[in-house]
Amino acid sequence: MQIRDYILRRLMVLPLLIIGTSIIVFVLTRVGGSPIGIYLSHEMGPEQVQQIRERFHLDDPLPVQYFYWAQGVLSGDFGWSGVSAAPVTAVFPSKLAATMELAIASGIVAVVLGIWMGTVAGARRNKWPDHVIRVVSIAGASLPLFWFAIVLLIVFWVHLGWFPIGRSDPVIFDSIAHPTGFYTIDALIALSPRAFWDAIWHLILPAIALGYGATAIVARMMRSSLVEELQEDYVEAARAKGLPERLVLKRHARRNALIPTVTVIGLTFGFLLQGTVVAEIIFRWPGLGRWMADAVLRGDQATIMAYVMFASILFLFVNLVVDVVYAYLDRRVVLGE
Amino acid sequence: MVDASLSRPPVRRAPVETAARVRLRRTLELTGRVLSDPTTVIGLVIIILMLAMALLAPVITTPNVPDPYQMPRDWGAVRMPPLTEGHLLGTTNNGGDVLYGVIWGARTSLYLSLLVVSITVVVGTIIGSIAGFLGGRFDNVLMRIVDVFLSIPELIFALAIAAVLGPSFANIVLALAVTFWVKYARIMRAQIIRVKQNDYVDAARVIGDSKLRIYFKDILPNSITPVMVQATMDMGHVVLVGATLAFIGLSEAGIAEWGVLVSEGQAGISSGRWWASTFPGLMVFLWALAFNLVGDGLRDALDPRTEGR
Amino acid sequence: MLTNLEEHDAIVRAPDVIASVRDLKIHFRGKRGMVHAVDGISFDIRDGETLGLVGETGCGKSVTARAFLRLVQTPPGVYAGGSITFRPRRVCDDCSGVGCRECDGTGRVAAHCPACGGKGCRTCGGTGEETVDLLSIPDAQMRALRGNRIAMIFQDPGKALNPGLTVRDQISEVFLQHRTAEILAAAGVSPNDVLLRRQASQKSRAFEKMLLAVPPLRSGRNRVDAALDTMVADALAQTQIPNPRKVMDRYPHELSGGMRQRVMIAQALACNPDLLIADEPTTALDVTVQARILELIRELQQRHKTAVLYISHDLSLVRRVCDRVMVMYAGRVAETATSQQLFRRPTHPYTRGLLGALPGRGAHRGRLAAIDGTVPELVDPPAACRFVGRCPDEVAACSRTDPPMVEIEPEHAAACFVHAPPGKAAATRPVRTP
Repeated sequence: MQIRDYILRRLMVLPLLIIGTSIIVFVLTRVGGSPIGIYLSHEMGPEQVQQIRERFHLDDPLPVQYFYWAQGVLSGDFGWSGVSAAPVTAVFPSKLAATMELAIASGIVAVVLGIWMGTVAGARRNKWPDHVIRVVSIAGASLPLFWFAIVLLIVFWVHLGWFPIGRSDPVIFDSIAHPTGFYTIDALIALSPRAFWDAIWHLILPAIALGYGATAIVARMMRSSLVEELQEDYVEAARAKGLPERLVLKRHARRNALIPTVTVIGLTFGFLLQGTVVAEIIFRWPGLGRWMADAVLRGDQATIMAYVMFASILFLFVNLVVDVVYAYLDRRVVLGE
Repeated sequence: MVDASLSRPPVRRAPVETAARVRLRRTLELTGRVLSDPTTVIGLVIIILMLAMALLAPVITTPNVPDPYQMPRDWGAVRMPPLTEGHLLGTTNNGGDVLYGVIWGARTSLYLSLLVVSITVVVGTIIGSIAGFLGGRFDNVLMRIVDVFLSIPELIFALAIAAVLGPSFANIVLALAVTFWVKYARIMRAQIIRVKQNDYVDAARVIGDSKLRIYFKDILPNSITPVMVQATMDMGHVVLVGATLAFIGLSEAGIAEWGVLVSEGQAGISSGRWWASTFPGLMVFLWALAFNLVGDGLRDALDPRTEGR
Repeated sequence: MLTNLEEHDAIVRAPDVIASVRDLKIHFRGKRGMVHAVDGISFDIRDGETLGLVGETGCGKSVTARAFLRLVQTPPGVYAGGSITFRPRRVCDDCSGVGCRECDGTGRVAAHCPACGGKGCRTCGGTGEETVDLLSIPDAQMRALRGNRIAMIFQDPGKALNPGLTVRDQISEVFLQHRTAEILAAAGVSPNDVLLRRQASQKSRAFEKMLLAVPPLRSGRNRVDAALDTMVADALAQTQIPNPRKVMDRYPHELSGGMRQRVMIAQALACNPDLLIADEPTTALDVTVQARILELIRELQQRHKTAVLYISHDLSLVRRVCDRVMVMYAGRVAETATSQQLFRRPTHPYTRGLLGALPGRGAHRGRLAAIDGTVPELVDPPAACRFVGRCPDEVAACSRTDPPMVEIEPEHAAACFVHAPPGKAAATRPVRTP
């Protein structure tokens, strides 16, 4: 089968890209100097320092060091996170869940809202809803997240007091078990409406801040591809069959317009992922993004490397999935090129 | 559609219409098309105002001594709201005048975007051209590197680079340059490969032009338009990402840069001091918006499908 | 209003006319003014005949055809005047559409005039048959006719079939829109079953579809689907597609061009329409396939006695397929005649030019072998013959007044001063002019 070959080929390239990324990241962190600072304290003498240098192979040439690092990574050892004062692997899962919860919530908002906005704009081309949505989506591509989030906070947290800041009310958060780490899902599992509401209430503002830019991207793509589809002959043919306009739009034009829109969803995901760094700082969200930001400010190399590796692997993987879904949806596509 | 020039009486003007004149006429036509779109004009107006602000900064405000790019501190007027005497847009927690930051921030942003865009355009164009022109193994290796670069989300990559180099504005420039050249290399390579297949390049080769001459005379002028569009958009995008990095804390504290100012003002918002973050952030938004609008307009105008040649 | 009644009378007097176009004007708002794409044309389509509509690209053929389905995009299009009167039939009760003696094998019988119930009144002009003006009926009524009483075959089946839906999905839509009662009857489902009736008329919303997937309701849904499948397969079988049940599950891109056009034809003829509009149905096909598709359309048309409006720029094709031909030029009718008359005695200089452009006929026609120039732009045209400037036989009157349609022989009329001079026009009977 064609599609399986395609997936296999893509999966074979994936490790190469990941190795390439890891080399770039590794070289990058070493350019900034030796990572030894994290392990040192004022009481250590020169011999102890030398011991550490040898223990972590810091005197070996760079390729050898990379080899040791890669060996560690493959056995699940990402090093010591100076920011968290714990091994990277120990703090990673809970922070990952917090970040993914935020990113997925914004992603869902962006996809649903973006497709809806794009459909409305495309179906009423050059009428006022189209103009409004066009302005909104152009603004979305230029809006600095760090500013938009702060403006939202100023209006809805400081002045109106409608929404809280942070990820949860600690008392409610601690009252339920956290098997998955996703607060909303844990609340559902614990059958606690109070915790679920708490989770949603905290999620709304950061999800809007983070999702706006992505919504704009999706809406714009959806609009232009819908406009293109509506010019196609098969749309006229559907009308000639006696279909009501609602079905012409939904069953015929929109369905095909969704196909190119899928491709930007992968792009959107990278956008959301990098946005979490900023959104988590501003909304005091205890996730990977804020962890990364802390690590960046303190020069914590192990954390930075772990984060960048994670982000790029996730990004690559999402794009692979998107490409496969696209190939599946658009049966006209000739795979491989 | 019949070209209008064909139906005119046959005045012998062919020798007068030199290549330079043709280019001039096309540029004028293009300008007309760009200016016929109201959103593009809005973008242009904002850009002109921003540039005026950046260039006239030392005239409008009294430059801080010794370093005008450093925020002046008025410790006698800390946390003043907008419309205070002498501080039209208020002051920050540390007595920095927000208006001064907004104006000199434009200068900083202009400096940042021009520097990054010119470096990346030159580097990207050269590398992409070599890859596209030579092809073969060099091209293969280069494109794999490009793939790897593109597999790390932009901001995260720049963040990691800037983090490793240490917090300073110069390192933000460097980090952005390292991240952004890839796009140009890709565009340029694709363009060259496309243009290379056109007949007129073959024609030039038959005449016996040297490779370098073909490149400068035929390929480069025909490949440069998408690079121009991307560069225009990046003038805005660089400032957006740069300000984000500065906001996270990768620039020296206290310089007159919009991201730094938003970060400085962030501490005060819970106490209701909204102005110190709002105004500089708005400037970043307008800056990015303006270049996006113009870039969009330029792309539409240059689109060969709408170009009536 | 008075003229409208007169137009109705026209149909009344000719009981075999199924559709009648009077003074149709369709304009397009352009950058430089109103483009008169169709500028006051009148013609009739008779029951069971194939009427060819011929002309160069941009002469208004396709716009005229789309007006029958009211598919001209407005804006930029404007229906600027005129009427298209249409006499829709209904499915024959005696044979439920299969074809019997009662309906002369067509499966269609006249629909009763809603005003008098078939007794004959002023609205229907005494015939007792329903007549509608396609340009003024409400949208819902128009939709009920589209694909049902008037169907269309498009030029490029590769583009006119939705790439994302299977052949089954696309053909079943026609039945779902127009044959809900038949589907339910074939499935043995009570017409009062709301959920299934909504399914059989393509009205189900997402939650209803979920409901229908639940076991007790599922069997009803499956029966409706099975009945629909049979109807789709029958429609496909009519077009001589081998293995229709297999083809049903295919996507258009998996089929050859000829197969796609067969699917398109099956879709158009699914509801046994009274009028079939074929917009250059073979232009996008390979030459070898063209002949077979043409044959198929001809055969199906004769079996069901369907009236066909056949649009083409290819005169030799039209000669093979059509009973009568109407030549259009720049939004006007240039000449109408039976196929034989047109080829035997082409009168309008434009028709003669077109014939001269045919290969193998140009040799003895000298300078008319090809027509110089292109169709003029139709922005606010003056009152003059549209062919002025390209016409080899121009006289002074041509650029001063519109030439009226003048009868040359029975069934044959042309709008030209040269071959039916103004003086002679009084002697010959002018055919209805706008």
